[in-house]
Amino acid sequence: MNINFEAFVEWDNSPFILFNNSGKIIYLNNAAEILFGYVSKQELYDIALSYAPQNFGYRTTSLTLTYDSFLFYAITVGYENENEISIRLYNTPRIKPTRKLETDKFITTDINILLEANIALFKTKNSNPLKLLTDQDLPAFKMDQNNFSKLLRKTLNAFRASDSIDISLKLLIGQHVIIENKKEPIVQLAIKANGRYSDTDGEIELVAAQSQIKSLLKERSITLEIPLIQ
Amino acid sequence: MESFFTTSDKIQHIIKSFNLTKTLFVSSIIIGDPHTGKKSLARYLFPHAPLVSGLNQDAVKKALEESDELIITDFEKLSNQNNFDFSNKRIIATANYVGNSSVIDDLFAFIYTMPTLLERPDDVQYLKKRFIKEALSTLMIDAQNIEEKNIPLNLSMNSKSLKKSIYLHLTKHSMDNADIENVIYQHIFKYLDGNDGYREYLGLYEKPLIKAGLKKYGSQLQLSKILGINRNTLRKKIHEYNID
Repeated sequence: MNINFEAFVEWDNSPFILFNNSGKIIYLNNAAEILFGYVSKQELYDIALSYAPQNFGYRTTSLTLTYDSFLFYAITVGYENENEISIRLYNTPRIKPTRKLETDKFITTDINILLEANIALFKTKNSNPLKLLTDQDLPAFKMDQNNFSKLLRKTLNAFRASDSIDISLKLLIGQHVIIENKKEPIVQLAIKANGRYSDTDGEIELVAAQSQIKSLLKERSITLEIPLIQ
Repeated sequence: MESFFTTSDKIQHIIKSFNLTKTLFVSSIIIGDPHTGKKSLARYLFPHAPLVSGLNQDAVKKALEESDELIITDFEKLSNQNNFDFSNKRIIATANYVGNSSVIDDLFAFIYTMPTLLERPDDVQYLKKRFIKEALSTLMIDAQNIEEKNIPLNLSMNSKSLKKSIYLHLTKHSMDNADIENVIYQHIFKYLDGNDGYREYLGLYEKPLIKAGLKKYGSQLQLSKILGINRNTLRKKIHEYNID
């Protein structure tokens, strides 16, 4: 039997990288390519060296690694000669939403309109300067308009006393999320400022989860990864 | 279509936000003091939407079943707020106060706060002009006798007290002797009883007479001459009515 396994590695959802002995990348799969948007080559090479088995072979170590929205629960590091070393990172399974998305009830919506309306609402209460960088060409997509508006209101409200608020809305090229067995592109809404309130973080996470939106809440920013369902 | 006048930045933002979401199925609520124009604003933005009052629980329930677009006024009066399902409906509610904030937060995507008239001086001037025009026509008063700037504006209850203060002022200033006599007649007819009526109700005439006279002529001496009564009598009356 002679099967070429390379395609399997290429399309594996977990990142796989092969380094040479000076830390240069010889091969990386699709998932790893995306990961490198958030972590440096050197950092992963150092991890590979630190967790490499003492002799030729493979070793799997359980550990928690977090790079932005990427979460890993284990790595396997292996080498069969002195020239190459490989590392594979295992994705932490995403918690399955308990509430099924009723996508048939969703309404196709221009996200820019909802965002602008929420900014207008925000401005009735706050006079903080606000910068908006958006992609007007984003296609309209399906969403629960009310729930999503609520999420936007709560998210913006976390920045009610912040200065220099930066809002950006864009399509995440090359990244997808699986919703009801369908691969959907991701739209990213990122809001950054010099600081923010975190009193309603729990609510934001809850409302986001109801629409299968991934929320990343950090000290000075909130990022929402919204599935672009068409 | 009825227009809605405002120069308030806050309300302009509310209007902008509503205009953007007009065609979407989102629920919004405008919260603010009574008589700040919440209902007029909702009507102006959604001229064709059916309107029900929260005072009538059953009507709200029925309207929700029948239409996808609905204005609900007096939302704070509804008792079973958390049983409502507004999904995929366009709800515009107005309320005088928040009530249960977590229910409001859960039900509504857009929560707007209507500023009071005190925060909207330009709007007050606009409303004042409108109410004066309306009052002059209703009361059939000649506009030339009215000095607009002398009208005291009461904003304690927003447009309600503003309107009332204008109507009262214009009514008072357009009365002739016969009207005044008539007002006093009605008042005395309603309340006169007891055993000291003469002295009691004489004050209704004497007190304003002396107060106005003092303000107009400055000194008691001067006023006693004008009134044609003894200075001591005047002083006694001033004391009796506690006039400063």
